[in-house]
Amino acid sequence: MPISRINNNSIANNTIVASDLAAGSVTGDKLGLTAINANNIVNSTITTTQIASNTISNTNIATGAIENYSRATGLLSGMRNRIINGAMVIDQRNAGASVTNINGNVYPVDRFIAAGAVASKFTAQQNAGSVTPPVGFTNYLGITSLSAYTVGAGENFNIRCYNEGLNTADLGWGTANAKTVTLSFWVYSSLTGTFGGSINNYSFNRSYPYSYTITSANTWQQISVTIAGDTSGTWNTNNSGSLCVFWNLGCGATNSGPAGSWSSNLYIAPTGATSVVGTNGATFYITGVQLEVGSTATSFDYRPYGTELALCQRYYQAFFGPTTTGIGNGSTNVNDVVIPLFVPLRASPTMGSCNGAAFTSSAYNTFTSVTPTVVLNSGVFISTNQLRLNFGSVSGVTDNRIAGIRVDSNLSISSEL
Amino acid sequence: MYKLRKTIYSDNSFIEDILFTNNSKQYSIPFDPANTDYQQFKIQVLAGAELQDADGNVMTQEQANAFIATLP
Repeated sequence: MPISRINNNSIANNTIVASDLAAGSVTGDKLGLTAINANNIVNSTITTTQIASNTISNTNIATGAIENYSRATGLLSGMRNRIINGAMVIDQRNAGASVTNINGNVYPVDRFIAAGAVASKFTAQQNAGSVTPPVGFTNYLGITSLSAYTVGAGENFNIRCYNEGLNTADLGWGTANAKTVTLSFWVYSSLTGTFGGSINNYSFNRSYPYSYTITSANTWQQISVTIAGDTSGTWNTNNSGSLCVFWNLGCGATNSGPAGSWSSNLYIAPTGATSVVGTNGATFYITGVQLEVGSTATSFDYRPYGTELALCQRYYQAFFGPTTTGIGNGSTNVNDVVIPLFVPLRASPTMGSCNGAAFTSSAYNTFTSVTPTVVLNSGVFISTNQLRLNFGSVSGVTDNRIAGIRVDSNLSISSEL
Repeated sequence: MYKLRKTIYSDNSFIEDILFTNNSKQYSIPFDPANTDYQQFKIQVLAGAELQDADGNVMTQEQANAFIATLP
């Protein structure tokens, strides 16, 4: 029988099984290039014993195939998530206590700002309401409306977080090579309807409103929004702010715009978004915030607690307790007080007031509400782990003699964006 | 309200900062363009926020604008 007489039509399904083939009788030259695909291979039939050394090279693997699989299964970690404290675990300032919004910024958890045009319209708190977080999370940021406030045309209320330019420079935003990103988060609200937010640059002259729908009240729901990178505008790539993500809690017409496209206007919310502050007692909870390169929301990028805390401390840290020494200047100043930093700061910091004591070998005087000054000319505040301060308005020190400073309350050190 | 502070050392050198009160707590802002509170200080003063000199005298808007213009 001529060899050409045997083809696919000549062999009924299942007439040739493995036991009919001698070992080594089927070789590569008897198989068409596309003859074997995933459908022809039973799970687990190919193991390492069937693959000779060095037979799989880069040319045998489609570009991105392994990377995409790793992302989808959460195997890649580190800084896949550009959002710091997206699981709302770190709260250095409040230790879980509630804060009420002011006409300005407050930080209910690290790296996340709660802001509003009018004070006292909502509270923000880690784990407010004590509901069970979504599976895999232990914390969330909770907003509770304090009234039924009608938001004015030029007013807005929101949660937002800034990203530093050094951490988003690779996105290439503001260039023709701008990368697509995906924002994902878990949300839970007593309200249903269309919600939203926006992504803005640091100058607030580029914005991308996004919208999402909460379909069931008081139910955790994961939201995913894919955003084509902005090829226009200025997106900082240094230690200044670059990319700001907003979650709208109430926004007037002036800062509301069409969802799904970039604009040079300052839009904070999509047009028609639900106002959380418009309903007394309304709640809005959020956690698992992730911003990543690509068009797919992957599993949350969990980082070790210590790593997440250190990332937050680049922008805020508190000093408490340890005694440090300086040099008396006159009788009311202590100069050159050097305190340790947990990690180097983003920039020279704003210092909060503190209580404590100044002392010498023969005197001990407590002080309250003293606000130290950062000594800028030393240059030690950025590249090393220490901060040089001057404590004024103290008493009992001796000029040009050693003096000690003990801080008895949290001394806030902030270089937030 | 912002207030300038100048601390003079024994050798007549000095350091300066900006005092700011928010939510009943006082803060010291450095003259550093990378500091966000410093950026806000300049914006707010130019928009009319009160600025006092180191002696506690309230600057006129014209004086405040002129001072801001000298800053980095």
